[in-house]
Amino acid sequence: MSVSNGSATKAGDWRSYQRVLLPPVKDLHKLEVYEQHGGYAQLRKALTDPAWDPKTVTEEVTKSGLRGRGGAGFPTGLKWTFMPPVNPDVPRFLCCNGDESEPGTFKDRQLMEYNPHLVFEGMILASYAMSVKTSYLYIRGEFADWISHMERELEKLYARGYVGKNIMGSDFSTDLVIHKGAGAYICGEESSLMESLEGKRAYPRSKPPFPAQRGIWGYPTTINNVETLACVPLILQKGGEWYSQIGAQKHPGPVLYGISGHVNRPGVYEYPTGMLITDLIYDVCKGMRGGKKLKALVPGGSSTPILRADMIEGVTMDAESLRDAGSMMGTGGMLIMDEDTDMVSFLRRITHFYHHESCGQCTPCREGTGWLENIVTRIDEGEGNLRDLDLLLDLCSQMEGRTVCALADAAAWPVRYTVERFRSEFEARCRPSLIPAAGIDSVLV
Amino acid sequence: MADFIKHPVVELPDRDPAPAIPAGELCFTTAEKAQIATWVSRYPTADGAIMRGLWLAQEKFGWLPPEVIRLTAETVGIEYSQAYGVATFYSQYFKRKMGKHVLDVCTCFSCQLCGGYDMLHHLEKKLGIHKGETTPDGKFTIQEAECLGACGSAPMLQVTNGPFVVNLTEEKLDALVDALREDRVPPFTSVNLPQDDEEMGGNRRTDAPFKAQYQVPPVSKTIR
Repeated sequence: MSVSNGSATKAGDWRSYQRVLLPPVKDLHKLEVYEQHGGYAQLRKALTDPAWDPKTVTEEVTKSGLRGRGGAGFPTGLKWTFMPPVNPDVPRFLCCNGDESEPGTFKDRQLMEYNPHLVFEGMILASYAMSVKTSYLYIRGEFADWISHMERELEKLYARGYVGKNIMGSDFSTDLVIHKGAGAYICGEESSLMESLEGKRAYPRSKPPFPAQRGIWGYPTTINNVETLACVPLILQKGGEWYSQIGAQKHPGPVLYGISGHVNRPGVYEYPTGMLITDLIYDVCKGMRGGKKLKALVPGGSSTPILRADMIEGVTMDAESLRDAGSMMGTGGMLIMDEDTDMVSFLRRITHFYHHESCGQCTPCREGTGWLENIVTRIDEGEGNLRDLDLLLDLCSQMEGRTVCALADAAAWPVRYTVERFRSEFEARCRPSLIPAAGIDSVLV
Repeated sequence: MADFIKHPVVELPDRDPAPAIPAGELCFTTAEKAQIATWVSRYPTADGAIMRGLWLAQEKFGWLPPEVIRLTAETVGIEYSQAYGVATFYSQYFKRKMGKHVLDVCTCFSCQLCGGYDMLHHLEKKLGIHKGETTPDGKFTIQEAECLGACGSAPMLQVTNGPFVVNLTEEKLDALVDALREDRVPPFTSVNLPQDDEEMGGNRRTDAPFKAQYQVPPVSKTIR
């Protein structure tokens, strides 16, 4: 596979890219170091400069073209404008989603460890833009060490008067609360995150009403990913115009690529959007482990459709390019698989994950994920027959779009696309069926 | 029907189980009550504090038998049924007595492909128990965990809902088990960003005592 020189890609000259989310500054997680490097200057500017009223902040974020980094890629500025007009009698909330449970995703944790104040500043700025008086940072319970880390830094922030009553002497007050989860993948879904915050089982809610109309405790709420909110101070510092010039035009900005699997140097990398996948694998991650051939990759967390090695030539990491290639950007958590990977066993583990994590509220998902696991397990054990493959795809069709939240879709897509794109491997594992099934002509020959 | 098709086993709770915690010990201290009250004050209604309350109770009592859930619900000020629903919904709350050290080995996704099952099976062999079981001396429980969000340093495990131990090898597992037998819980480990190695010598945090470098993931021998 050829390695491009990088100059022709949407990411531009990525080799000379200067990191902004995780800049190379020692001990940046400490409040005093963060302040020395221009931290909280954007907050001060927004709160003291009359030119920066909440509306202007939102407009700047809209202008930047920032799209959510949690998976769906929804334009952030537009999401903020969905909040109803301010009514002093009605509380409003902001949630920062740090649940990060999508398999293959491990970027927010690095951001919270190495640059927590960028997240806090983004949250306070977003609270200011939407006139929110209380914001919650929801972190998954497994990140216990990082939760105590964030709480220590938050205490310093309160002591400094950068959050709480009359921030920096202005008339703006907002509180920031860290909420500790307790191990449920579904809490990454925004409506179940709200249920979880309310101290209930995390059953997703039907939409509409959307969170901006009826969110936590029935009040207007906006939910953004950790990485999304971390971009906000940068946008205000350097301007929406600057941000929109980074990376792919329709999906701009710096992005944290979490690359794992069979590469020589896995890890979290900050680069612009629109990086060539081949650049990321062969250049950034120093190639495949042991010089093996690439077989497949999952571009953005376990629920995004898998791509075969022959499908990624010229594909870049941004929403448009990945959609054309038949997948999604998701969270940017890439899993790279080499030629020795057993796709059937791989899919078996994914179906087990979704069966385990289905909240059990909707029947198609609760039962469907179990059947997907049972059938893929049967094939993996060599007991499946060819009809099972079409049964799997049929089951996927019965699940997609028929539940309250998108978990059923997220469970069905890996099955659908892995079976479709690696069908021969699945067929080789099955016993030849005596009964012909639709679409398998080879059985009768 | 082949035996690999799993039928869900629903274990109904005992209607009147004997209390696991003696009545004399079943209470929160004044400091703990004050802590719970602080959490309650941060939410519009008391409900929001139940998750933190249950975490506190689990740290104190080790696990969450019904009477502890009831005590927590009363202290927070919500219905027992709701607290019970929360405690049983989330996987990190222990609904049965666990070993002193719970080893959550990640085998999901990246960890599966980079030796997570090798680590799980090695641990099972070493401790002589299967996943989900506790050693007879009550020291260890092994669990197969879903993605814990450390995919770049696979394989990894988490010790009792606390520190992550990353880039596991069989030797590292042996050393970990030996340390935990003496109740030496591993400290927080900071994982370096690969870009930091090039741009700043890999030393981003000067206050984190232990560092792990990103490394080439091992070749997995088993993937199920």
